[in-house]
Amino acid sequence: MKPIITDQQRQFRLKSAPEYSQASFAWIVSIALSLLLLLGGYRSETGDFSPVLLTLSGAYLVFALLQLAVWARIRLDLIRDGSIRGGTRVLGYGLMLSLLSGNVFIATAAFQLVRAKKNAAYTLAVYTLLTTLLVFAVSALNLYKPYVANSFLTGMALLLVAAVIQLGALLFLAKVADRSVLPRSTAIIAVILILTALTGNVFALLLGLLLIARLRDGGGSAGSKTGQVIDRLSRSSTSMLGLLFILFLFALSVTSYWTFDYSLAIENNYSAILQPPSLAYPLGTDNFGRDLFSRIVFGARISLIVGLLSTIIPVVIGGLLGALSGYYGRHTDNIIMRALDILYAIPGILLAIAIIAAFGASTVNLVIALSVGAIPTYARTMRANVMLVSTLEYVQAARAIGSSDWVILTKHVVPNSLAPMIVKSSLTIGTAVISTSSLSYLGLGVEPHIPEWGNILKLGSAYLETHAYTAIYPGIAIIALVLAFNFLGDGLRDAMDPKLD
Amino acid sequence: MVEYVTAPSRRGIAQPLTAVFRKMLRHPVYRYLLFLSGAPITLIVLVCYQYRRSKLGYRTIAAEVENELRQSGDYESLAAEVRQQQQRKHRFFGRQPDEKQLEREVAHLASLKFNARVKERIERNIAERGRKITFEDTYRQLIESPLLFLLSLLLGWPMYILMGIYANPYLKYIAERLVMAIFVIFGVAFLVFTLLYLSPMNPAANLLGETATDEQIASFNRLYGLDQPYLVQLWDSLKGILTFDLGKSFAGNEQVTEAIAGKFPVTLTLTVVSTLIAVLIALPIGIISATRPNSFFDYTFMFIALLGLSIPNFWQGLIFILNFSIKQSWLPATYNPENWLSAVMPIVVLGTGLTAAVARMTRSSTLEVIHEDYITTAKAKGLSRRTVLWRHAVGNALIPIVTVIGLQFGGMLGGAAVTEKVFNISGIGSYIVDKQIIPDIPSIMGGVVYTAITISVVNVLVDLLYAFLDPRIRSKMKQY
Repeated sequence: MKPIITDQQRQFRLKSAPEYSQASFAWIVSIALSLLLLLGGYRSETGDFSPVLLTLSGAYLVFALLQLAVWARIRLDLIRDGSIRGGTRVLGYGLMLSLLSGNVFIATAAFQLVRAKKNAAYTLAVYTLLTTLLVFAVSALNLYKPYVANSFLTGMALLLVAAVIQLGALLFLAKVADRSVLPRSTAIIAVILILTALTGNVFALLLGLLLIARLRDGGGSAGSKTGQVIDRLSRSSTSMLGLLFILFLFALSVTSYWTFDYSLAIENNYSAILQPPSLAYPLGTDNFGRDLFSRIVFGARISLIVGLLSTIIPVVIGGLLGALSGYYGRHTDNIIMRALDILYAIPGILLAIAIIAAFGASTVNLVIALSVGAIPTYARTMRANVMLVSTLEYVQAARAIGSSDWVILTKHVVPNSLAPMIVKSSLTIGTAVISTSSLSYLGLGVEPHIPEWGNILKLGSAYLETHAYTAIYPGIAIIALVLAFNFLGDGLRDAMDPKLD
Repeated sequence: MVEYVTAPSRRGIAQPLTAVFRKMLRHPVYRYLLFLSGAPITLIVLVCYQYRRSKLGYRTIAAEVENELRQSGDYESLAAEVRQQQQRKHRFFGRQPDEKQLEREVAHLASLKFNARVKERIERNIAERGRKITFEDTYRQLIESPLLFLLSLLLGWPMYILMGIYANPYLKYIAERLVMAIFVIFGVAFLVFTLLYLSPMNPAANLLGETATDEQIASFNRLYGLDQPYLVQLWDSLKGILTFDLGKSFAGNEQVTEAIAGKFPVTLTLTVVSTLIAVLIALPIGIISATRPNSFFDYTFMFIALLGLSIPNFWQGLIFILNFSIKQSWLPATYNPENWLSAVMPIVVLGTGLTAAVARMTRSSTLEVIHEDYITTAKAKGLSRRTVLWRHAVGNALIPIVTVIGLQFGGMLGGAAVTEKVFNISGIGSYIVDKQIIPDIPSIMGGVVYTAITISVVNVLVDLLYAFLDPRIRSKMKQY
């Protein structure tokens, strides 16, 4: 006999299983991407579709439909029993094949579906492996090039070794990660994982550190605050996907030293001017015959470095000023905050333009210009937090036992007011990336000969009518990176929000 | 207070005036302002005050009391007490302080305590004699005479204006906010000028070309005052900004302020229109998303909003031109003030970021408000969902949104340079960008500073709006 459940109960059952929302997210995004690929592949001149994109779009559609079917089964299971059946979970292994078409959305949902019990270590292991595989796949596209970098084979072999190790670690963790006490051999695996992080795979580094931290904890499962944040973050699929894209770009930037040939990105090749996308030139070539794909890969380096630096510098300076201002109050506060009010009155881009107008356009000046404009925002955030924390009992206690102001500030106040700063910086890093490329587009940013995304776009925008792809692809790269940072920032905010406790 | 109720009319003026006077004296900044603005009056009051104090023999009393206390061994007993406390403290922390430092600490603390005790004793002593003299009492006694009051009005009218502003919390808030804005504007002018002054670029050499002789460069510098010392140039620029006369630009030989006056309205109109449209679109979306959290509608719109935040303006502009001007030729690709259709794309591009930010902010702030206790109360009273939402929730949720709009408006005005370049709009942003190559110091300076001034004025308006809309801020203002 079928038990009758209320609408509210049904909603609750559906919401209690993360697999359900992951599955719905995966199929919706896949269908959307499939449509986008179909649209992108349409050639208005000839009225037909580009075969490569059409195939890819078809593959996405097939997996989206399969995912939709699995989603429907999950829904049925949840409404009927309140839990997902083993038979449905097994379907996840089939969906993992979607990785072959590069569909990480369905693949990550599938990795989560096959396991009833999840934990941060397993999720991180999955993302570690995914990052290496994606880097390997993107680097492998170089095989179609007329020539490859000298260290290409070494680099690819290293990546392959790393992938095998990480797969081993994933299988191992799938077996043991649920136990409250990890076996001793985990330490060896953790160290090897950290070694594979040399390929730029930060997920591997994080996973290794997490495992070591858990080993040192012993059975104590209370977990530190950082542990809780990682745990919560790993449960949010959108922010993990954002992190995946950022760390994938980072790893690609690191490995591109071995697997990519820089000359393809910067040296003119007049025999291949403005080529449409092909296997040798996956995203086509620009008006100097330079490979757009290589240029975008190398541009990732600049965008990441400039974005990170112009966030870290104001976080440190603004954080310091804000902390001093909030802790000492009165005159210190007045002087610092009034001085920063002046900076705050000039919009970031305008201040950057003024600074660059005064000191000339170069990457260093760009970083300085963007950093200076962002200092007041961080100082304000930090000041508010420090003022809040300074009134708490443990700060009074520290003062009562005679700690000096400096010790109180550095040991008690600042570490406890960092969370909103981290959230804010992860949300504004995207803005920094946009500002970098905007200024480069205006000719005020990175030097024009460096393949930065804004520079590539500026060159491409001159060919908008005839070869629009030269302007579209770098733009998509910028959007994807900024979107990834925004997703990560939203996830971090939810994970660090004390209200959820 | 009794005195106030029964007082005749002229005392009725003196009493509240003195109250304001006393309050202002306690505030360090207003004390100076009071002394300065009422210079003749306050000087007279000060002289009277000092005279009456010496007549009372304040100094003799002070010396007497201090002597008396020292004689009675008060200081020694205090020092011994402090020493004991210090020793106990060090013992508690298990520290072994050296003798010298301990003595220094003891002497310092003991003299602090002793001075406080002496002061207290003097006050008590004077009070016992029944003639306590304060500065504000002297002032009151002086203006109680109508003649002197009229004289003080005549001589110290700036002081009375200041006191009038201080007495009214709203006026005081507005005045303080305006002073801040003026300070910021001068700060911005100073900052931008200093940046351009420190610039290693050489406008004369850039403009006259490589063939320019030293004399030509020198005469160029003399013509534009670039050979003057830093402070003279700074003073000229500040004066120029206030009098709307920044001289001629280096290139093109045009009046800078005239050029800016021609370009600024274009940017301002586009920004204001796109702000209005953005807010009109974003508010309903945010509120509807908040009322149905985690629904399909919510996810879709918040994803679109996040996408809107992530799209660089110039790329969006290029894609629009590609699709609507090149492929479809629905809208013109470049801006033309006569054709309103050409303003559609720039307005949409400019407003995308703001729409996204406001929609997200509206959602989160409405979500926060509808989980407050007073909303539960409103629901418990039996109000309909609609009334609860519109009467109780949205009004309060709007408060942080207004801030975001104010901030974003500034960012838009400053960031318009990129959009203006894409659509070939001759606004202030593209003007500054065009002038940066030389660098044309007066033009850049004028462009940046006037933009910053506009933003400051908008922020003042937003703050004032706030102060009158938000009852919490209103009540806080009255408590000053």
